[in-house]
Amino acid sequence: MRLYPHLALVKDVPMTNPARPPLLEVKNVCASLGGADVLRNVNFSVAAGERLGIVGESGCGKTVMGLSILGLASSAFHLRGEIVFEGRNLLDLPAKAMRHVRGREISMIFQEPMVTLDPVFTIGEQICETLRTHFKLARKEAREQAIDALAQVGIPAPAERVDDYPHQLSGGMRQRAMIAIALACKPKLIIADEPTTALDVTVQAQITNLLVELSEKHGTALLFITHDLGVVAETCDRLITMYAGQVVENAGIDDFLARPLHPYSSGLLRSLPRMSKRKTALPSIPGRVPTVAEMPAGCRFEPRCSLAQAPCKAEQSLLPAGEARKVACCRYDELMLPGVLN
Amino acid sequence: MIAAPLVSVDKLKIHFPTKRRGRTVKAVDGVTFDIEPSTTLSIIGESGSGKSTLGRALVCLTRPTEGTVLHDGTDPFRLGRSALRRHRRDYQLIFQDPHAALDPRMTILESVREPLDIVGEIPKADRNAQAHGLLERVGIAPALHERYPHQLSGGQKQRVNIARALTTRPKVLVCDEVVAALDVSVQAGILNLFADIQRDFGLTYVFITHDLAVAAHISDEIAVMYLGQFVEKGLAEAVQETPLHPYTRALLSAEPEPLPSAMRENNRIVLKGEVPSPITPPAACRFHTRCPRAQARCSKDAPDFRQLRPGRWVACHFAEEMLEEAGEKAQAGPAERAGQRQACE
Ligand SMILES: Nc1ncnc2c1ncn2[C@@H]1O[C@H](COP(=O)(O)OP(=O)(O)OP(=O)(O)O)[C@@H](O)[C@H]1O
Ligand SMILES: Nc1ncnc2c1ncn2[C@@H]1O[C@H](COP(=O)(O)OP(=O)(O)OP(=O)(O)O)[C@@H](O)[C@H]1O
Ligand code: SF4
Ligand SMILES: [Mg+2]
Ligand SMILES: [Mg+2]
Repeated sequence: MRLYPHLALVKDVPMTNPARPPLLEVKNVCASLGGADVLRNVNFSVAAGERLGIVGESGCGKTVMGLSILGLASSAFHLRGEIVFEGRNLLDLPAKAMRHVRGREISMIFQEPMVTLDPVFTIGEQICETLRTHFKLARKEAREQAIDALAQVGIPAPAERVDDYPHQLSGGMRQRAMIAIALACKPKLIIADEPTTALDVTVQAQITNLLVELSEKHGTALLFITHDLGVVAETCDRLITMYAGQVVENAGIDDFLARPLHPYSSGLLRSLPRMSKRKTALPSIPGRVPTVAEMPAGCRFEPRCSLAQAPCKAEQSLLPAGEARKVACCRYDELMLPGVLN
Repeated sequence: MIAAPLVSVDKLKIHFPTKRRGRTVKAVDGVTFDIEPSTTLSIIGESGSGKSTLGRALVCLTRPTEGTVLHDGTDPFRLGRSALRRHRRDYQLIFQDPHAALDPRMTILESVREPLDIVGEIPKADRNAQAHGLLERVGIAPALHERYPHQLSGGQKQRVNIARALTTRPKVLVCDEVVAALDVSVQAGILNLFADIQRDFGLTYVFITHDLAVAAHISDEIAVMYLGQFVEKGLAEAVQETPLHPYTRALLSAEPEPLPSAMRENNRIVLKGEVPSPITPPAACRFHTRCPRAQARCSKDAPDFRQLRPGRWVACHFAEEMLEEAGEKAQAGPAERAGQRQACE
């Protein structure tokens, strides 16, 4: 089904081969906090070598989702559903087995480097620690690999920087040190939570190229949480949009940018600053995300959606919309929402 | 009458000691510029080039190793302790890392109210009301006001920080990567808020950002930093449209575009070579080790940071040449260039 003629310009996105078994499958995951759902029936999957972007409103649950996969979400959250990684449900995995998965098979690059990096150990000590937890390595070897890992993420003079403490590095270097730790064990899945937020665009390009290269060469899967739609466009094959704890759209990246199907997705694209409209007010979606107490029973975006109608008062779930695409909006096929091209 | 610059930076250097004796990190290494009141200056540039360090120096959180930072013509470090404390209220910084900036033992509301509590000029009920109002403006629901920082998402914490910095309504506000952690819709709301406050109260902003689209949108002027120095500075449109330093060109070309793959231009200038260390920056032009345009003289003499046109500063031997080329290109194909722009719209 081609709903959008101007997309003839756009070359077809390679869709994930349906025969390729998913490496990670998130099934109906809910995370509740005092009886209210912070995540609600989240479903998506990632195959080996696939790069999936996650975008969404600040506070919609992206980080909680990423942390839940690794069993690191705050104990305040009660998790339900299944997170299947290579046939095992990670939510049922004993703590000891989970420790083996963490860092070795799945690793995470966190949003806030200062929270994860330990201020009392040098960068080098922290990389060596990760390496030596999972591999039998002599101190000297581990140190060499650590320097290597720092060089890979583009830290200048790595042999000298390896002995620096986190506070001696610039924001971007700290972030790269974190990435070096995450890559050190060559995991199968990397969850990157805004990994390039603090980096300038040339270093950012270097890091995203590195991640793309890893996924192409070694089949590393990537779950890329970010607010930067340009980075998603250049790095990922597919994208899910989250709003208030739910996935509202799941689409190939080019389709999404040219013709978003969910009003929230379209609102995001319209908020991008553009050269031509310098110094004018940017269109932002009015209102704010509902808190758990205010959560509407129907479509969670309904109170802020300018296109809402009576049927939107019913709960919306993520349903197929054409090939390899899903959306949680009952009006999607009547609407022609603007994307980045119009 | 010409108003005095609100902030005047002269040959500023900030060096940090390293473990090895005699070696220093030259985080900021000779920067001179002025900031006019009620304008917005964006500082973009390489990670580790000294942007945050410069930002801290602008609000006197870091002492210059050499050179000066003047506020309204006076050196704040010459003020007595209590005068300096009062002075600082007018020169505020929002930190790059929101988590490090909030006190983990204070609730969100307390954090935002704290600057007003310290000043202590108005009754508590009013302070609470002001804090509530600002939190609402940055989109933090009342239900979150009694929470602690660790119970918020990254973007929520960042917005709390923004609200906190705005409570005392400083004259100069340095924003270090403050919108990077926000989704684009919330970002749009915050940028609009910054603009409204500037219009109403005449604030002066320094935005440190790596998002070139954001820099172009909000700023009057853009300065580009590389290894502790400014390499280019000028009006936002001018720098964006006709960058005159090879580093600026590389930076602009590396900006990821939110466009479908078939429409993205693949003309990225990839910089070769390792990023030099600010401990031992290259001699002569600091960019020559990675510069696609470098010639023999670039490794011999340092180019001056000079004014090519009013307000347009560049430090490259070939800036005049590039300006001429750009002029020709502009004459040759304005239609073509307009077409390219439209593709992004
Ligand atoms: N430890 C906690 N206790 C209580 N609430 C929490 C806790 N951690 C997160 N939350 C809440 O859960 C929701 C989801 O948070 P999460 O960090 O996943 O958001 P996010 O999508 O990553 O946002 P951002 O883009 O701002 O990083 C938020 O509303 C947040 O306030
Ligand atoms: N307290 C310190 N001690 C030693 N070196 C420091 C200190 N603070 C900063 N540096 C060094 O100074 C240089 C400039 O750092 P700064 O944080 O200003 O960079 P930046 O341009 O803000 O980078 P980013 O975009 O990555 O945040 C870096 O090499 C950094 O490691
Ligand atoms: S002076 Fe030379 S090395 Fe420096 S930026 Fe210009 S061309 Fe490149
Ligand atoms: Mg997050
Ligand atoms: Mg910085």
